[in-house]
Amino acid sequence: MSSVIETRDVSKHYGEGDTLVKALDRVSLGIAPGEFTAIVGPSGSGKSTLLQLMGGLDNPTHGQVHLANKDITQMSGRELSDFRRDHIGFIFQAYNLIPVLTAAENCEYIMLLQGVPEAERRERVYAMLERVGLAGREGRFPHQLSGGQQQRVAVARAMVSRPNIILADEPTANLDSQTGSDLLDMMHDLNRNEGMTFVFSTHDPMIMERASRLIRLKDGCIDSESEREA
Amino acid sequence: MGLTGRLAIRNLARNRRRTLLTAMIISLSLTALMFTDALIQGMTDTMVRSATRLYSGDAQIHHRDFLARQDESRVIDDPQAVLEQLAREPEVAGFAARTLAFGMVSSAANNRAVQVVGIDPEAEAGVSKIAGAMIAGDYLSEAGPVTQLLIGDRLAELLEADLGDRIVVSVNNQLSEAAEQQLFRVSGIFHLNARAMDENLAFIRLPEAQSMMGLDGAVHEIAFNMTSASLATDTSLGLWQRLSNDRWVAQGWTELMPQLATMLQLTNSSTIIAGIVLFILAGLGVINGLFMSIYERTYEFGVLLAIGTRRRQLFKLIMTEGLILALGAIVIGLILGVLLITWSASVGIDYGSMEVSGVALAEIIRPQHRFMQYSALPFWVLIMTLVACIYPAIHAARIVPAKALHKSL
Repeated sequence: MSSVIETRDVSKHYGEGDTLVKALDRVSLGIAPGEFTAIVGPSGSGKSTLLQLMGGLDNPTHGQVHLANKDITQMSGRELSDFRRDHIGFIFQAYNLIPVLTAAENCEYIMLLQGVPEAERRERVYAMLERVGLAGREGRFPHQLSGGQQQRVAVARAMVSRPNIILADEPTANLDSQTGSDLLDMMHDLNRNEGMTFVFSTHDPMIMERASRLIRLKDGCIDSESEREA
Repeated sequence: MGLTGRLAIRNLARNRRRTLLTAMIISLSLTALMFTDALIQGMTDTMVRSATRLYSGDAQIHHRDFLARQDESRVIDDPQAVLEQLAREPEVAGFAARTLAFGMVSSAANNRAVQVVGIDPEAEAGVSKIAGAMIAGDYLSEAGPVTQLLIGDRLAELLEADLGDRIVVSVNNQLSEAAEQQLFRVSGIFHLNARAMDENLAFIRLPEAQSMMGLDGAVHEIAFNMTSASLATDTSLGLWQRLSNDRWVAQGWTELMPQLATMLQLTNSSTIIAGIVLFILAGLGVINGLFMSIYERTYEFGVLLAIGTRRRQLFKLIMTEGLILALGAIVIGLILGVLLITWSASVGIDYGSMEVSGVALAEIIRPQHRFMQYSALPFWVLIMTLVACIYPAIHAARIVPAKALHKSL
């Protein structure tokens, strides 16, 4: 099966000479459509850096990142912005909703950038918020929601624009275990029912338990890979 | 309203105190600029009025060589024709003929060199403020005795003279080329609130002055006021040509008092410099306020960029915030400016007869409203704010998402 995302010999180095740090060193991997993948490893192993490069948030020192068969390392800033907008959904550890926008507006924002008509935007936002269990809370601002609810809005925001892949960085790190588990179940359902591709960077055993594929990083290199029935 | 506008307004409302402080920097700068302009206008007007309407008039007509040579033989020998022409000019509000002579006034106690001015009392009252500046005795009158003499309070002090005291006035007679002396009595003492005038001018009636100087009906100067003081600076008016010929010339106060015109130009330059300094300070305040806001939201900008916001859209967001901030602040600044100028104009600012460039600010200064205070100044404050926003907006647009999201993705 062709990969929805592929890294080829990707390296990311910081500093130079004696202070050179190889955050990633020649990492090659492919993520197939519909995978529920967890990138795991100790702190400093390069998980977040790999996710950043996959999402086009930073450029690799060496190598290529192909997303939907396009080399995103060769894209201009504007092309990359549009590509992220249309093909990638992000879920952050600290929710990172825009505090001055309501839950619905946070979800609507990307579609607004995409130029989706207002009526369709509204319909999709309300449907998605209902899907993540936030019906009736569309008009609330982030500070009026609990941590779990905020992360649900973040998931809804990431998915409502119908991206090819969702990159999630430690999405359960700030949640209690029950809320985290519920959220993961919800994402797992979306993965299974809608075929949405998820890539996590995590330490959380709950994510590892649910992941169909585990990629272990160590010192910026792939240490091991395993696939299993989720 | 678009999402950018909503985002901008809500972002500004997030930290109301900071937004208010930044807005106040802009507002108060605009108010200060408006008030400075109003004050300078008021002061300029007062200075020009003090310099012209106090005694000299908005404009004067002399023999072409009189001012350059200070030669008392250079006269306007047919003043009636000029006076009739002045009466026909619609821009002329009042005019008065004068004779001017350097002479000597002697009291029992002292003597002093002064300028002896012969005036037509009634006509003079329509040009200068002497009639209204009497502090003792009476203004000159046609019906009174020929020995009437007006002197300033400082001259009276120097001569140790009082009302009714005898004063001998000596001038040169142009016909006999000999000194001509005549006895006068102090009939009035004036206070023009300008040291040079209160100390060095003595007024007698025009016919007596002409007789003493042997001028045979001629005069040295015809002073006139315009319907509006600003007309005197308008060199395109036809009256300058109509009132001038190959023997005499009509000149406005800017030509007669070039030092005052230069000083006023310097004042304008100073206002512009003060305005630029204010602009720079306000601009730095805006940059500081916006930068604080941007640093606080770096993480958020990282998120916006990560989810597909173009850098240009982020730039537009910051500029929109700046625009809304500026418009709000300008409204506040305009209101404060109107109130401050109106209030200060109603109570006036008393400079206590301070002299600037030899001109006594005899009147209370009243700041003046001008259209440019409500058009050009707010416009430039808006431009200044937007220019000040460009740097923070570029900074925000250049944020690297990976660095901004360092703690997370």
